[in-house]
Amino acid sequence: MRKASIIGKKLSLGYTKGKVQREILHELSFELFSGEMTCLLGPNGVGKSTLVKAILGQLKPFEGEVLLNEKPISTYSNEDLAKQLSVVLTEPFLPANMTVGQLVAMGRIPHTGWTGKLEDRDRVAVQQALSATKIEYLQEDRISEISDGQRQKALIARALAQDGKVMVLDEPTAHLDLVNRYEIMHLLQEIAKTQGKSILVVTHDLEIALETADRFWLLNCGTPLISGLPEDLVISGEINQLLPGKKFHFSVEKGRIESKVQDLKFEISGPEDLAGWISKALEKAGINGLAGAIEVSREPFLIKYAGREFSKVEEFILAL
Amino acid sequence: MQKNSPFLLLSAALILLILSFLLNVSLGSVSISPNEILSGIFTGDWTKASREQIIVNYRLPKALVAILAGIGLSISGLQMQTFFRNPLAGPFVLGISSGAGLGVAILMLAGSAFGLSTFGGAINPWAIAIAGTLGASLVLLTVSLVAWKVKDSMTLLIVGLMFGSAVSAIISVLSYFSGAEALKLFTMWSMGSLGGLVWDQVWILGLVIFIGIIPVIASIKSYNGMLLGESYAKSMGINPDRLRWLMILSTGLLAGSVTAFCGPIAFIGIAVPHLARMVWKTSDHRFLFPASALIGGSLLLLCDAVGQLPGSAQTLPINAVTSLVGAPIVISLVLRKNFSKEF
Repeated sequence: MRKASIIGKKLSLGYTKGKVQREILHELSFELFSGEMTCLLGPNGVGKSTLVKAILGQLKPFEGEVLLNEKPISTYSNEDLAKQLSVVLTEPFLPANMTVGQLVAMGRIPHTGWTGKLEDRDRVAVQQALSATKIEYLQEDRISEISDGQRQKALIARALAQDGKVMVLDEPTAHLDLVNRYEIMHLLQEIAKTQGKSILVVTHDLEIALETADRFWLLNCGTPLISGLPEDLVISGEINQLLPGKKFHFSVEKGRIESKVQDLKFEISGPEDLAGWISKALEKAGINGLAGAIEVSREPFLIKYAGREFSKVEEFILAL
Repeated sequence: MQKNSPFLLLSAALILLILSFLLNVSLGSVSISPNEILSGIFTGDWTKASREQIIVNYRLPKALVAILAGIGLSISGLQMQTFFRNPLAGPFVLGISSGAGLGVAILMLAGSAFGLSTFGGAINPWAIAIAGTLGASLVLLTVSLVAWKVKDSMTLLIVGLMFGSAVSAIISVLSYFSGAEALKLFTMWSMGSLGGLVWDQVWILGLVIFIGIIPVIASIKSYNGMLLGESYAKSMGINPDRLRWLMILSTGLLAGSVTAFCGPIAFIGIAVPHLARMVWKTSDHRFLFPASALIGGSLLLLCDAVGQLPGSAQTLPINAVTSLVGAPIVISLVLRKNFSKEF
């Protein structure tokens, strides 16, 4: 039985400026399930941050309510909320004197007494968080002396040590390289599964999210929130909601975003995967059509066109 | 070993404080050996009555005031730096010292500026302390009203700074129109002085500092949470609004009372928290607060000892000495490559 740890009921969200209420999101309903990593996707400025603020209880909805464990989030005290919900934010500034171990231990703040002294159970929670994120070896290192990817893992460990049922991450993979992006998202999915947590990730990384997320939430201007398995959304074409306008679409067979302008007139013969990359390169170079046919062969790589041979796509384009 | 070292350092700082205290008390126009002072204090036997007079009524209160002022200023500075997340914040960024200055300026200068009968040359220290307290409270009250209105801590910081300069401008106007005698008195006050307080005032200063430290102890955990910024602090159940009120209250009491009694003392509040961070290599406020207090007290005692120009009857104003010591510290901090990261 799937359990929803956070439920949104007909939420209308926005900001009050003076006496004017400016509504950004209208009658939004959603359920965040435990044991799943949900990715919230949507274009910039659509209200993702606003939605996250409401889920964190930092923004009072105009209408509707957010339920956390079946109780309205507004009835929680700050401390009780902190024991249920933890966050990873896009905060560039961290105190450099702090070690990774100390950073993770800060997650225990809601659980400790007024001095913040760690008890045994706190130390256990810190160790578990470090091992779940696989950064035990960094425990004594200072935050200023580790890489961006390691720092992001340390921040995730801090949120884990806070030991809530729900974790919300705001673009945890921004500024990271490809390997780290995959690694972080896989880690989050694994944590959601093994520890039964609800993890909500706000991200723009569609390709990696497709690969790792258990569920997508698509947010778009003026439409209700679309929730579903990423695969279902691809098959139904709803994923194209992310790409309004006519220029791009999501290619189902290739699993990535492509330009829509497809009436290019090349005839390319040879292995299909190679042909794809060559037409991509021609397209970028602004070449829309060629009179003759192109022949490609693998091993050794060779492009034959109008009786000439090229060993690199670049040489070929320059010769055109 | 790794775990005990912060405590070890705290013990070392405590010893430094005691040594600075003895050095401070024994130096002066007459130098008196620490042995004699200790036996005098604990047994009541003094070799000369004049020495008892010097130690008990002049040097001891001054040394205690130095410790109290050092503690008050350093702890206010640390609170401001953490709350505003700004390494250059100090105890006076919310305009407290300007406020106290305004109070004292009105007392000393306004009479002369408006041609009314002045208080004459002899303004007693109580009047100065009360005027300083009133001025500091006035500014603090206004800043609190702003803090109640705006929720953003950067706005509060800017408003505090602007307030400080506006009040300084009023003081300049008063100075411009006042007579030479009054102006000299005010200038002397603004150079700061640890001496000249009677025992009653030392007790009161001690009491106010003690009360001002209570909100700090109550919110140590919140200050640690603030290290990650307001949003993270909120997500960990810390209430930044409550912390802001406690901080305004605490720094108002600490920095306000020190300024009212001793005049504005520069640099201690900015430099000492950095020294504590550098030596203890931690950002944990459970260590930084006691460390800053101990270093602040010792540093002010040492500055005062230097200012007495050992062997001569002349003394330098304390503000000049702290600035001479503090400026190189702040400059060397700014020149360090990773200054912003070290914070």
